[in-house]
Amino acid sequence: MAENNNELSYKLVPSTCVYCGTGCGVLLEVTGNRLSGTLPQKDHPVSRGALCIKGWSVHEFVHSPRRLARPMIRKDGELVETDWETALQAVATGLAGARDEHGPDSVGFFASARCSNEENYLLQKLARAAVGTNNVDHCARL
Amino acid sequence: MTNSIGELEDAEAILVVGSNTTEQHPIIGEKILAAVRKGARLVVIDPRSIHLSEFAEVFLRPRPGTEVAYLNGLINAIVSEGLEDVEFIAARTEGFEELKKSVAEYTPQKVEEISGVPAEDLEAAARIYAGAGSASIVYCMGITQHSTGTDNVLSLANLAMLTGNIGRPGTGVNPLRGQNNVQGACDLGGLPNVYTGYQKVADEDVARKFEEAWGVEGLSRQPGLTITEMTDKASEGELHALFIMGENPMVSDPDINHVREALQKLDFLAVVDIMENETMEFAHVVLPAASFAEKDGTITNTERRVQRIRKAIEPVGEAKADWEIIALLGSKMGASGFDFASPQEIFEEIRRVTPSYAGITYERLGTQGLQWPCPAEDHPGTPILHMESFPIGRGRFTPCEFREPAETPDAEYPLVLTTGRLLFHYHTGTMTRRSPSLVREIDRAFVEVNPADASELGIRDGEAVKVSSRRGSVEVNAKVTEKVGKGIIFMPFHFAEAAANTLTNSALDPVSKIPELKVCAASIEKL
Amino acid sequence: MSDLKTIVKEKLAGGADAFLCLKNEEGTVLPALITDADSPDLEFVDVGESRYPLGRILIDLQREYPDKRFAVLVRGCDERALIELSKLEQIDLDRLVMVGVACSTEEAEACGCPRPYPGDIALGEKVEAAPGREVIDEVESLGDAERLGWWKEQFSRCIKCYGCRNICPMCFCKDCALENPHLVEPGVIPPDFPSFHIIRALDMTGRCIDCGLCEEACPADIPLRSLYRKMQDIMEDKLEYRAGGSVEEKNPLSFLGTEHDIEKLEQE
Repeated sequence: MAENNNELSYKLVPSTCVYCGTGCGVLLEVTGNRLSGTLPQKDHPVSRGALCIKGWSVHEFVHSPRRLARPMIRKDGELVETDWETALQAVATGLAGARDEHGPDSVGFFASARCSNEENYLLQKLARAAVGTNNVDHCARL
Repeated sequence: MTNSIGELEDAEAILVVGSNTTEQHPIIGEKILAAVRKGARLVVIDPRSIHLSEFAEVFLRPRPGTEVAYLNGLINAIVSEGLEDVEFIAARTEGFEELKKSVAEYTPQKVEEISGVPAEDLEAAARIYAGAGSASIVYCMGITQHSTGTDNVLSLANLAMLTGNIGRPGTGVNPLRGQNNVQGACDLGGLPNVYTGYQKVADEDVARKFEEAWGVEGLSRQPGLTITEMTDKASEGELHALFIMGENPMVSDPDINHVREALQKLDFLAVVDIMENETMEFAHVVLPAASFAEKDGTITNTERRVQRIRKAIEPVGEAKADWEIIALLGSKMGASGFDFASPQEIFEEIRRVTPSYAGITYERLGTQGLQWPCPAEDHPGTPILHMESFPIGRGRFTPCEFREPAETPDAEYPLVLTTGRLLFHYHTGTMTRRSPSLVREIDRAFVEVNPADASELGIRDGEAVKVSSRRGSVEVNAKVTEKVGKGIIFMPFHFAEAAANTLTNSALDPVSKIPELKVCAASIEKL
Repeated sequence: MSDLKTIVKEKLAGGADAFLCLKNEEGTVLPALITDADSPDLEFVDVGESRYPLGRILIDLQREYPDKRFAVLVRGCDERALIELSKLEQIDLDRLVMVGVACSTEEAEACGCPRPYPGDIALGEKVEAAPGREVIDEVESLGDAERLGWWKEQFSRCIKCYGCRNICPMCFCKDCALENPHLVEPGVIPPDFPSFHIIRALDMTGRCIDCGLCEEACPADIPLRSLYRKMQDIMEDKLEYRAGGSVEEKNPLSFLGTEHDIEKLEQE
């Protein structure tokens, strides 16, 4: 067989399963730069080396072809790919435009129970400090 | 949770109510079964027969929406048999006499009429729960997603305080958080009425503290809108712009036709997500986000354990972590205080403004995490809440009166529809339905129908049916099963092509603003 | 006795492209692949107490990197797995150097390992332990009808996580019979009784090397190890074979020929 071009690398990265509020300990297997599997973290205080089927397969969606890979903007009714600079400017303009025209409470933010603590913190800070509204909520009730 | 997951294994009795634990929190479900093997007595209350009910000593199967009635009935039975914890009530609570008076009419016989739960079964459940040295309540959305959700939770708190089952190992009132970071999103101020650590936006001192910490002026003291209220305001033309991060309201929210109409009316909609989803259809801008495997950060589990997620691979394509997207956006909008280089830097700011997280650092979290409150770096974290006292001093019993759900069956919609999750899927399915191991198990919606109803309607197992409510209808295959009682149908809500939430009712609990996803009137017909 | 760090360095200098070992990261011991002597991971190499399916990881690594030579830290169970996997043509022992570590008395007793040490011991002291027989004795004391009921009760807790299969160093099939909808109905918990667990137990016959990782990974605490151990007892009794023994010993169930023979046949 020909010389393998992949750089020889394999590692396990400790993380937390993202499929429910139990918070089981997982080790993400990385071969090259590809997520290749999941193992349970043996000494985890909650899951103690066990997982459910979702935990065992928590790596599988990551390389799905349905992942969004590029920013998109609506042009003539269609979402078309664009660059980050254009997309972020459009969001800033969209949010600031509504705020300036109709007041801060005409803008709303959905935070997420599937994002990190840091991200939820930053989003409510954006809503409250940058836009001036407390219209920020997430799917805790849903 | 007031207590920790591991303690369940040592509880003497466990009351599981409105939680299909095996399917929604499988590892916790197995801990409950481990407790049963060690001798714990298990009571399950659920309209559906579930995996855990097979192992229960007493299984109560009430009509959905009668929670306050049967919980008051349990309290009534405990008090009339003198099983309450007199010492705990005297030392740690107030309002017991009012509670006693208010539950007097909820005799087991009366509760049987309302809920369909046999009086003697209710009494047996009461004896098990009140008679144990330590008894834990485990609940989930089957308690909260009702127009009486707040009263349901208060009734559970009444039950726990009545029997002194709070503040000790193996006790507590333990909500299981559905999504991986519901706890954290609430803790970190992802709610319209509070900043981080549940500091109220309407509190002048709190608002000033955040103005100082963030270097801004004029933070709004007016609590904002919840998700369902924002949807209503959008449809009324009062909410003009919406930024959605990691949510898919076109599948997850009640009354999807209403959500569609609302999103279409917006002047501007930005959607940030890791996957293509149904909500993008109405977006003006879509931003690709990095998945949990492509970024660092922390999430907080249902027992308040703050834990790390770690970057394992580079983001796919041009995706960026949500924190980075928000930071860039903040700067682009001319705001200061958004120039963070890492999630750890953001966490350091969180610690400064959030007393319950103040003692937590990334280094301390390691691979085991820490449970808040953790007010100082030498504090070990808090596995059990309310050991000595409640935040308000004495725990207050709150009498609750039974109210019928917002919608009850009638001639046109004669069945009760209730919704839920499956073991093999997660929320709106954008992740799990892209996972071969999970799709292999199940990838189709269904509606569970009791054999008696099925034979009346001439529906056979596996046949296509139309399920309708006042808000819409979906086509789906019937699963004829004894799992649901007569007059009740069940649908999982993961499947966009037969979205259960087309049917559900957006009627809200007046206090918590949670929609009544667990009960609506529906009809079913053969296609 | 030299320490693990020195051994890893020696093997890397002596022709191994990488050393599959364990390291202690922030208090948690987990597998790590060390590819050069300057790796920062070298400071943290540790045998630890947690066991991981190193055989399963090595199958993937040898497939992904067919020209590389690996060294691996093995306990008795890991060595048994690698030996049996080589007979099943899943592991190429010629491209593998094993460095043996003997389990401590405490570990061996807690685990109930039939042979808590490898053939060559580079680290630790050899101790013996007795495999636990409590579950097997309990089941054997029951009549036939009760036995079925006993197992049915155990399996009624199964939530179909597939953890027993996923963690198993001996499970490598591309198409798994447990996922065949004609044999086991998909999407149902607990899975069909007894087909799900009987399929797995039969697949383990002549193959299970009694590492016990399945039982450790089982969220329902189903006594899987005892079930598979009993299958191996029967195998040894009837066919005088126990998996993981020596490379030379032929597995009596290989009478159909090997995958290599099948490929040769297909080419002809």
